[in-house]
Amino acid sequence: MKKLLLCVLAGAALAGAQEFKLGSPVSDFEVTSLKGEPVKYSALKGDTTVVIFVSTVCPISNGYNDRMKAVYNDYRVKGVHFIFINANATESAADVEAHAKAHGFPFALYKDAAGAAADLFGAQVTPETFVIDRNGVLRYHGYVDDSVQEARVHNQGLRQALDAVLAGKDVPMAHTKAFGCTIKRRRRAS
Amino acid sequence: MPARPILSLTVILAIVAFAAETRLTGVDEVSFPKLIAAQRGKIVLVDFWATWCEPCREELPKLAAYEAKMRARGFVLITVSADEPEQDAAAYAFLLRTGVRLPGYRKQARNDGDFIDFIDPKWSGALPALFLYGRDGAKVKSFFGETDMQDIEQAVSKLL
Repeated sequence: MKKLLLCVLAGAALAGAQEFKLGSPVSDFEVTSLKGEPVKYSALKGDTTVVIFVSTVCPISNGYNDRMKAVYNDYRVKGVHFIFINANATESAADVEAHAKAHGFPFALYKDAAGAAADLFGAQVTPETFVIDRNGVLRYHGYVDDSVQEARVHNQGLRQALDAVLAGKDVPMAHTKAFGCTIKRRRRAS
Repeated sequence: MPARPILSLTVILAIVAFAAETRLTGVDEVSFPKLIAAQRGKIVLVDFWATWCEPCREELPKLAAYEAKMRARGFVLITVSADEPEQDAAAYAFLLRTGVRLPGYRKQARNDGDFIDFIDPKWSGALPALFLYGRDGAKVKSFFGETDMQDIEQAVSKLL
């Protein structure tokens, strides 16, 4: 593991207040491209948008790499926009880029080094997913599905949510408990 | 009886015994309260962890050492792994290496989200997570994320 000059701490204790709640609008926020350029959510979103917090090193996030690629490929053709964000202060843009190349990710990834976007969504772990509808309202928050072992999956949380939102219906399980490695947030000065 | 079949049977039995030995015991909303009730009279710290959770792996040896120190004063550490059953042997081996007292347990609920809410509705399910129960079996405190041993020791000292 790389040593950092910054002190980092996982967990919700030092996170900022969660602003985006289910059923409420998602306001604009900013992430950073892997080249270090600021990018607004408003420039990336579509009629339906999925935000997914991921990690390069978390075994659970990596256990979902293929499934995230599959969801991306299946739903981008339906007009869904995806924003993959790495909010771990311990993982650099270079780490994210190398990881994406190694795993053949067809989608762009962004950094949220200060964890500001993660805080706004209340994201705690990787992977953790959010679906926003055409009215900018947060409609789903939770896991991709309910087991990292594909043979044990009973609930396709993210896919079900997307199908419901695209059909203009209520999401049957709008909130599921995402599981994975805690997002490594940067300690904030008090 | 020929020697070779006896040897094969012995090897098979040894493998079965070893496999049973390295399995964690599944726990859900029904068995978890019984687990806590069985420790009535003691101070119980339940640690939810996983082999894939780095902060969990760093924290466990410290918890094991603390339990060894406090055991005589009625403190018990119970570990509940969030790993998949296929990881039982790896989880068991890790518990052995860290000196954590066995048996170890593993989440085995029908619905993970419901089980997480059952343990503590404020818990997002993120690991590590620690839950402290008093001698009467009532939950006293929850610790979400990485926790300083000092905070744990302080909370336990109030229950001694």
